[in-house]
Amino acid sequence: MSRARLVLARALPQRATEPSEGGRAGRALRALGKGALTHKGLTIGFVVILLILLAGFFAPLPHDPIQPNPESTLQSPDGEFWFGTDRFGFDVFSRVFASARLDLPIALAGTLLSIAVGIPLGLAASNKSRWSERIMRGLDMFQSFPLLVLAFAIVALTGNTLQNIIFAIALVNVPRFIRLVRSEALVLRESRFIEAATAIGASRTRVMLRHVMPNTMGIVLAQASLAAAHAIIVIAGLSFLGIGITPPDASWGVMIRVGSQNIATGQWWVSFFPGAMVFVTIVAFNMVADGVTRLIGRAED
Amino acid sequence: MRYRTGAIAKRLLFIPVAVFIVITLAFGLVNLTPGDPALVIAGDLASDEHVAEIRAELGTDKPLPQRYAAYVRELFTERSLGTSFFTKRPIWDEITQRFPDTLELVVLGLLGAVLYGSLLGTLSSYFRRRWPDTLSRTSVTITQSIPDFFMGLLLIYVIFYIIGWAPAPVGRIGLLDRPPDRVTGAVILDTLIARDWGLLKTAFHHAMLPVVTLALFYSSHFAKTSRAVLSRALNSDQVEFARACGLSELRVVGYAFREARTPVVTYIGILFAALFGGAAIVETVFAWGGLGQWAIDAMLKLDVPAIQGFILVVGLLTLLVYLLLDLIVVALDPRVSYE
Amino acid sequence: MTAAAAPPTASLLEVTDLRVQFRSRRRTVHAVNGVSFAIDEGETVGLVGETGCGKSATVRAIIGLLKSPGRVTAGSVRLEGTDLVGLHPRQLRQIRGASIGFVPQNPFGALNPVLRIERQFRNVIRAHGRGRRAEIRSTALDMLDAVGIADPERVLRGYAHELSGGMAQRVVIALAMVLNPRLVVADEPTTGLDLTIQRQILDLIRDLAETEGRSMLLVTHDVGVVAQYCSRVLVMYAGQVVEAGPVRRVLTEPAHPYTEALLAAVPRRGERLVGAQGTVPTLLELPPGCFYYDRCQYRSDPRCATEAPSLREVGPGHWAAVHYDKGAGST
Repeated sequence: MSRARLVLARALPQRATEPSEGGRAGRALRALGKGALTHKGLTIGFVVILLILLAGFFAPLPHDPIQPNPESTLQSPDGEFWFGTDRFGFDVFSRVFASARLDLPIALAGTLLSIAVGIPLGLAASNKSRWSERIMRGLDMFQSFPLLVLAFAIVALTGNTLQNIIFAIALVNVPRFIRLVRSEALVLRESRFIEAATAIGASRTRVMLRHVMPNTMGIVLAQASLAAAHAIIVIAGLSFLGIGITPPDASWGVMIRVGSQNIATGQWWVSFFPGAMVFVTIVAFNMVADGVTRLIGRAED
Repeated sequence: MRYRTGAIAKRLLFIPVAVFIVITLAFGLVNLTPGDPALVIAGDLASDEHVAEIRAELGTDKPLPQRYAAYVRELFTERSLGTSFFTKRPIWDEITQRFPDTLELVVLGLLGAVLYGSLLGTLSSYFRRRWPDTLSRTSVTITQSIPDFFMGLLLIYVIFYIIGWAPAPVGRIGLLDRPPDRVTGAVILDTLIARDWGLLKTAFHHAMLPVVTLALFYSSHFAKTSRAVLSRALNSDQVEFARACGLSELRVVGYAFREARTPVVTYIGILFAALFGGAAIVETVFAWGGLGQWAIDAMLKLDVPAIQGFILVVGLLTLLVYLLLDLIVVALDPRVSYE
Repeated sequence: MTAAAAPPTASLLEVTDLRVQFRSRRRTVHAVNGVSFAIDEGETVGLVGETGCGKSATVRAIIGLLKSPGRVTAGSVRLEGTDLVGLHPRQLRQIRGASIGFVPQNPFGALNPVLRIERQFRNVIRAHGRGRRAEIRSTALDMLDAVGIADPERVLRGYAHELSGGMAQRVVIALAMVLNPRLVVADEPTTGLDLTIQRQILDLIRDLAETEGRSMLLVTHDVGVVAQYCSRVLVMYAGQVVEAGPVRRVLTEPAHPYTEALLAAVPRRGERLVGAQGTVPTLLELPPGCFYYDRCQYRSDPRCATEAPSLREVGPGHWAAVHYDKGAGST
């Protein structure tokens, strides 16, 4: 346990102290897992996300989520349909949980893709060269587009396949990782241990990969959790508008869309339960982000 | 002063380049993405001839450089964004017709977000770690975790269906109301001009829920920014000295506000630009009939020229807002001058 | 602890047994632990000590601007007889600026960056009464002239960032004294300024105090500054005044080993003070005996480890918190 603490302190840099030397991403993650035990919010958030994901795939559902029951449409919650049914006769309860099969993996995949693109670009942009200038200028231009609408347009134009949705989510989130990694790297480069590594003749690439990048992992992880929360909103928004996932596939956004036609006449349950699930998921991701920020000593208070 | 005008001049010089990039991006987005809109529009059962016809009409049968040249030429010589594939109306007319509605929604929503968010942030930073802080931070956590469209639906259920304070969430005024004479195109403004107070009340009534939805959702940005900046400012030497000189607490908070206003104004600008597209979902929920709702419709129908025109206009609008933002920030802060 | 260095006649400022704590959920820092002193009309008193000895907390407690979670837990601060501790914030606000002028460390931080200097004068003056724009303007011009600003008109029109460090501090002093306060509290007013300007600023503060017969509390870590500008000195250590007395006497015949170490650490006037050996105790838990026990080279009396020494008179007007009489043996 004490070793884990030590590793944690070494692997996750704090702004106030000298960043650690050569901590690896893997070690950082493992340490983070252990650190989670000491941070209530982090643990709760993580467990909630895991539960939602597992329930989506393995929980025994009372009804088939993509098989409507035509004889019982728009039923209010009761003993048979715990969360009621929508106007096609789909069981809301089963679909709320089944939605996690699509929504969560897409959100996570989109986030991972944006990290995979964002880190190298961010590192590259932290070099003081003409290239970095160009990347940042390009990013400014790119971000001056309303990215959310851009993502909607891309999915609409290219078709609502899983890959396209994931790509759109990555697109929306990539700028924040580029900026974050760049600003982190800029600070780290000034620090003494990087100077030392450069002084003993480590190549620039080596310094970047072995020393700078691992030390950005903590804050990238926190940002990733926020990005995943955002991704959940984007997927729900896409599906709500009818551009993303479409019925009969279960997705929270699709369910809210279906229920939106009944909410003004009082059938609240069709939209409410998937919406509440989105809310819980986002809060959980935010808690993880908060916990990680605290864990690496970057919290504001 | 010299430096400031220099920095501004530099930004102004950059504009033509930026405009050109926006045009190219809007074109590229629609034309370089994989997939053939013509196939989707025609449907699975369409004959090859029909698909070819649609391609010809969309112009996608011609080679890319030729299309690009034609697009730019049309843009500059005829000031035309093309015509909608479905309505056959000029895109420009479609956009200008709906723009005032969206503008009204965005301005009101943003105003609400700024006021409510700054209030929360101020309470938070002034009563740091006491109950108003906890309360405001809890409220922020909740509102930022509810997607705006779901928030809109919740409000419809509670305030329209259960309490009955709001009218049915459809459009800008009642179905049977006669719209005001079109002057600006913005309904609330036009009823004001027409001095039709009854209709003004109806218009505000209809605007209530969408505006509150946007305000709640986006207030979290302002609450967080203003809390962070104000907390720092309230702890600054400047505020201590102001207090040591015996200035009233109100004045002291005012001093802190002045320090906080640049980031807040920056946020207002960024969100203002982002909301022209971002309000699309809320517009759809409340059948607002603005630019965003129209764009979403165009996307669902794959009205390629419309999508392209929308992206272009919103991109240029953002460019304009950012430029104004730069000018405002420079005007607000005498220190910004050394770039 | 008796009313230590306070003479029997009523003083302008009388601080009695002042205690300040910074309490958070996890720990309590005892920043000021029973400080007593007095300042007479027209007197300039120096307050010296290392960083973290409680100088700043003492000063903030006097002007009522302790930052949360700092709190005065005991004692009183009497200004012309009125206790400022526990005074209603509104009344305290009237006293700040009007009766006590405060000159802070960092002039650029103290001035509002986005308000013109004239506006800042107007705000200060109007916080304590009314005033027409033109009157305030001429008052401000006079004051800027008095602090040695060459072109007051232009400074009034400008912003803080257009000033040099020395000019900014002059403007701050003008703001602090524009309402003619009886007491000026200067908290290391020359840190961050270069040496020649430090002298000018200190001369200026002294002149302004002398001509108007003001009293001054000058906080510094520079013994040389104390020697030149103060009539009396208070030496602080670990939140306590360990020695107090006339400057000349304290500096030539220090009675407390800490003062001795302070003086020994002064290489030449004007340079920064290097502290005594060892470090100040963390003020989380107060030791039972003398706070200086660990660092003291004279500790001999058995009471040193168990009983905190209180200030006692070791010479005329000269007080020190020691159990033994060092002077008797060595000199």
